[in-house]
Amino acid sequence: MTTITQAARRSHTVRGNLIALPILLVIGLVWAYPFLWTISAAFKTQAGMFTSGASLVPDQLNFDNFVRAWVNAGFSGYFFNTVLYSVVSTFIELVKAALCGYVLARYEFPGRTLLYRMIVGTLFIPVASIIVPQFVLIENLGLLNTRAGVILAMSGGAGALYVLLFVGFFSSVPADLFEAAKLDGAGFLKTFGLILPLAKPVIAVVVIFQFISSWNEFNIPLVFTLGQPDLQNLAVGMMSFQGEYATDWTGFAAGMTISFLPMLMIFLFFQNYFTRGLAGATKG
Amino acid sequence: MTTIAPAPGRERVTESDRSPAERVPERVDHSRERVRGLDTVWLLVFLAPFLLLYLSFTIWPLIATIYYSFFDWSGIGPIEPFVGTRNYSTILADPLFWVSVVNTLVFALLTTAIKLPISLVAAILLTRKWLRGKPFFRTVFFAPLIIPVAMAGLVFTYLLNPSNGALNAILRDFGLVDQGFDVFANRWSALLVLVLVSIWQIFGQYMIYWMAALQNVPDELYEAAAIDGASEWKKLTRITLPIIRPVAVIITLLGLVNAMHVFGLVVTLTAGGPGTSTYVVSYFIYQNAFGRVPFAYGYASAAALLFSVIAFVLVSAQGLAVRRAQRLRKEYGV
Repeated sequence: MTTITQAARRSHTVRGNLIALPILLVIGLVWAYPFLWTISAAFKTQAGMFTSGASLVPDQLNFDNFVRAWVNAGFSGYFFNTVLYSVVSTFIELVKAALCGYVLARYEFPGRTLLYRMIVGTLFIPVASIIVPQFVLIENLGLLNTRAGVILAMSGGAGALYVLLFVGFFSSVPADLFEAAKLDGAGFLKTFGLILPLAKPVIAVVVIFQFISSWNEFNIPLVFTLGQPDLQNLAVGMMSFQGEYATDWTGFAAGMTISFLPMLMIFLFFQNYFTRGLAGATKG
Repeated sequence: MTTIAPAPGRERVTESDRSPAERVPERVDHSRERVRGLDTVWLLVFLAPFLLLYLSFTIWPLIATIYYSFFDWSGIGPIEPFVGTRNYSTILADPLFWVSVVNTLVFALLTTAIKLPISLVAAILLTRKWLRGKPFFRTVFFAPLIIPVAMAGLVFTYLLNPSNGALNAILRDFGLVDQGFDVFANRWSALLVLVLVSIWQIFGQYMIYWMAALQNVPDELYEAAAIDGASEWKKLTRITLPIIRPVAVIITLLGLVNAMHVFGLVVTLTAGGPGTSTYVVSYFIYQNAFGRVPFAYGYASAAALLFSVIAFVLVSAQGLAVRRAQRLRKEYGV
């Protein structure tokens, strides 16, 4: 029900867009520039890079840079590691947070309150401050400089926030649903299986956040692969690349382009689902 | 009917077609069941994965950090010698540690103070029905999140380099400078670059947080305000902001804590330089623990602990603010 006439609303819309769009466009340009620059640098020759480093138009289209980055500089390996670390650690995070959140929300058991308080209390522990004992632990497990060690360290310390998200969600599920499941004779597992699909929005949020943060994880792979460049992910591999080919900016830009395009595609593809998952149905 | 994910700090799901009167109060105490019989086994099975990883990778390292901090241990061989509180007294007298703490706090406060308001404005704009081109802007603002922070650091290293980087090219074209100047040569300009690049990178995440928070404002309130002829500005200051205030505190908290973790950017952009003037705490810990031989695990642990205490004090201060905000919200009856 509105008291505003169509015409008034239309003029309001036009005015709003006139004010907001230029501002957003300027900010958007600043935000997009480093990306556009990287993609264009990936096609530049070394000479073109030197004379017009800042321009967004490459001096010529050559693909040598991509070949060099992918084959010689080991980007294919970094890329593989990054995908592996992200997929596996996201899966582990999701499983442990969903299961733990479910029982914390639904059941009363000795020590529940203590555990809940501990999780809240350790929500804000900086990774850097506990990385030394984590390192010692992985070392003692004999997993130092292995992919399993990196994955364990990545999915071990995080995830308290995700548990809380699931607790919040499962607490808000109406009790009648559980009652109904019980009346139908569904046991513990069956009930969980019935309720879990309702948590799709939370699952989406956890998957996306954990995937992004593990994709970008720098501190853990750096420390846990100190002796092994071939186990590094893109974030850390970039550093070795820079150390080894300090002047090869075009190769570096090509490697970057290779590494962010797939993620950008994934984001574009899932974008609507994501914003809806986190922010509800954004009317857009 | 839409189901909405809980926003950070608002741990419940609302249905937009539910009237405010029917809304569940924030901390609804669901009658939790007692476990019986076979269910106990399932309960333990469900808790096991989290507990196992949590105890070994969060709780034990916390305890171990405290333990190591009393030893001068290099990480090799048995944990000895015991030095009591000497690590602490050395750190408290270590000017580099204090430089790191100050830098980390300056960084955390500055980034938070800048990124929160602008991401809120962006979120408010991007949730307006009348705005054109929403998917495009969402993508542009969100894109920096998907590149590893170290890469962002390297790209900006190039863009800002004094000889042929974009920044200096632009300044030269406008005739503002006649020779390249190096932003990384001075402590404060280097810190400022760290702050700005970090905002560029993380902005999208906070925009999404705010969008989620804004979803929790009941439409009925806006409708009522529209009937009363309230302007957009009035709606914002009288409805939106008061209601999202408790969530805002949580988002601020997340912002501060995440900023205190800053590491990759510092490594790639400044490596703590010029000299040691942009050291941050995580970099200080890393350098002491893994960056020099012999490793100083004990010393690094003591530094980590001291910083955790500082961070904890800040976070607790925030926690008090949360409680105040929640009380306020009760008064609004939302």
